[in-house]
Amino acid sequence: MTDDTLRRSLYLHGYLADEALATTLWLAGRLERPLLLEGDAGVGKTSLATALAKARGQELVRLQCHEGLDLSQAAYEWNYGRQLLAIRLHETGSEQLREADLFSRDYLLERPLLRAISSEAPCVLLIDEIDRADEAFEAFLLEVLSDYQISVPELGTLRARHIPQVILTSNGTRELSDALRRRCLYHFVDYPTLAREVAIVQALLPEVGIALTTQAIEFVHRLRREDLAKKPGIAETLDWLRALHSLDVQALPDDPRALSAALSCLLKTREDRFQFDAARVRQLFEGRQAGVAEHATRAG
Amino acid sequence: MQPAPAEGHPPAAVGADGPGPIERIAGFAATLRDHGLTIGIAEQLAMVRAAAVMPLEHAPRLDAAWRAIACHDARDWRRWPELFERYWYPKRTRGSTKLSGQTRAGRNLRQLVEELHQRMAAQQPGAPREGPMDTAQQPMAVDADDAGVPRANAGASLSDPLHDRSMSQWLPQDLARMEALVDRIARALRRRLTRRWRDAANGSRLDMRRTLRASLRTGGLPVHPVWRTQRRVAPRLFVLVDVSRSMETHAQFFLRVARAFVTAMDARVFVFHTRLAEITPLLRSDSATVQEKVNAVTAGFGGGTRIATSLADFRTVHARAQLTRSARVWVLSDGFDADPPHRLAEELRGVRQRGARIAWLHPGPRAPVSEAMSAAVAEGLVERFHRLDNLADLARLADLVS
Repeated sequence: MTDDTLRRSLYLHGYLADEALATTLWLAGRLERPLLLEGDAGVGKTSLATALAKARGQELVRLQCHEGLDLSQAAYEWNYGRQLLAIRLHETGSEQLREADLFSRDYLLERPLLRAISSEAPCVLLIDEIDRADEAFEAFLLEVLSDYQISVPELGTLRARHIPQVILTSNGTRELSDALRRRCLYHFVDYPTLAREVAIVQALLPEVGIALTTQAIEFVHRLRREDLAKKPGIAETLDWLRALHSLDVQALPDDPRALSAALSCLLKTREDRFQFDAARVRQLFEGRQAGVAEHATRAG
Repeated sequence: MQPAPAEGHPPAAVGADGPGPIERIAGFAATLRDHGLTIGIAEQLAMVRAAAVMPLEHAPRLDAAWRAIACHDARDWRRWPELFERYWYPKRTRGSTKLSGQTRAGRNLRQLVEELHQRMAAQQPGAPREGPMDTAQQPMAVDADDAGVPRANAGASLSDPLHDRSMSQWLPQDLARMEALVDRIARALRRRLTRRWRDAANGSRLDMRRTLRASLRTGGLPVHPVWRTQRRVAPRLFVLVDVSRSMETHAQFFLRVARAFVTAMDARVFVFHTRLAEITPLLRSDSATVQEKVNAVTAGFGGGTRIATSLADFRTVHARAQLTRSARVWVLSDGFDADPPHRLAEELRGVRQRGARIAWLHPGPRAPVSEAMSAAVAEGLVERFHRLDNLADLARLADLVS
């Protein structure tokens, strides 16, 4: 698969990757290296992994990181209940039970990392929001990411049958260690350009008219330039357009108050709502009209 | 698809006629390294492999491929386009002049990929290989002609404020004293606990609910007690050092202190002037050339101080996601700002609104009294003013904090 075919099949599965991102993804596959995606929330980091799994026709194994995430949740855990049950059953039977029988793969519960490593078919492993996990966990990941293996003391080292394509995402709430960064390829996912965002929305929401899509996205882009506590991502744009569509809006109205409820799809903190009162939103809306007029005169 | 190299063994290239493709990649890697990117042998190998697997018609896409390999964080990411353009397409860079007698034949990506593919095709499978390690270890020599390339900031003022003051002028005992003081401050800041608890194998408090829950899988026997300990949130410290002309005599000392904070508590350090730049990675390495590198970062800044503009850049770009309630921002400056007076208070308010606490460390005996500062003071945006001129002041600050 070349980077062009990869890009095309990502598109068929609802993800519009730019050329650089497609090249990076392709290279990550060729070099068998994990890919670290950084960027603000809502720019499409997680959905890239989902789309990649679909495009390659592989299973997506997802590990959602959080504070206090430990080995038993991320890699493996012994199935104590089953082990106890096995001991009880053997107490009544005549068969001898050896310790090695209790610590075999049958009694090992696979968590996402081990599942990805021991999967029969190649898969995509998504390690989501790695910046939320502790530093200790990050250090544990190093073995998995560089050698694609997990050491279980009772069993030995389990090596990957097929090297999974690993995608890590981070929102940058914590600086990741250099050791982790250097094991990965890196891509910074930025907010898309106007044209690309229009294309994304059209691909995902074909039922929304092109006029409304363009107007709304121009507004979102203007909004992103403002000083917001939480900038609206692509996910927010999609939510807002879905809301507008369900309200049967064909074009942005002159009076922004009519849309004040739908705006909560875009502005998600109290300060942002407070800062963008009707007057401020109207100003941004008027920016739109000025933009359209300009465009018209240029076209004329 | 072009033939791919064997796993882990990129083809060797020692050109009889001028530098071969691998040497040219090494030259580029050396340039990147000079600009502060972390390019080790692993990265360099990956760059060669990327060029080797890249189909010839896609040679321009090496830009994206190498960017993914060479950049390790958002800061590198933003600097990449300029570095790449300047090295591979010097003619496109505005302001560059063609030097007579110098040819740039070697800096052609397509040609590079082509040569690499040819070498791979020509290589016998059993032939002894000469790895790229040799070139990786002495990459500087290859790019010797790079010294003649006009830099974008070559025309800007080079009268940098830190000039002539070497970091080695300190006596070792002064250094040790400063490090001890900074350690004390770092420990005092770290002591702040939150009211939350977190799991810890060696914690002090038994988490009864989770212990009981865990005992279910062992038939009610509490085999896996769950312990908790109080959660400590290590505050993120951001140190913003003013290196403008008016701070000339103090910047040296401030950078010393800032560097100690980087070592003690992983602070992030920025220098500002008319613009803002992060220098944490430069301070992290303990080499004699640190001063030169910091000078190089600030050289193109030009005169004047724009605190508000720098703060805006800091708040919205560099520390966007990290300015939280546990963050502390220490500004080391005399407070003379060339921006409109109201803007400083605005920007400080922006930082405060994220919950970060601001302290202002000034070199003079009294707190700054410029118009811009007084507005900020009136609003109570700055939590603490403290004089920082020498080690005695630092000791007083340590007393105050702990």
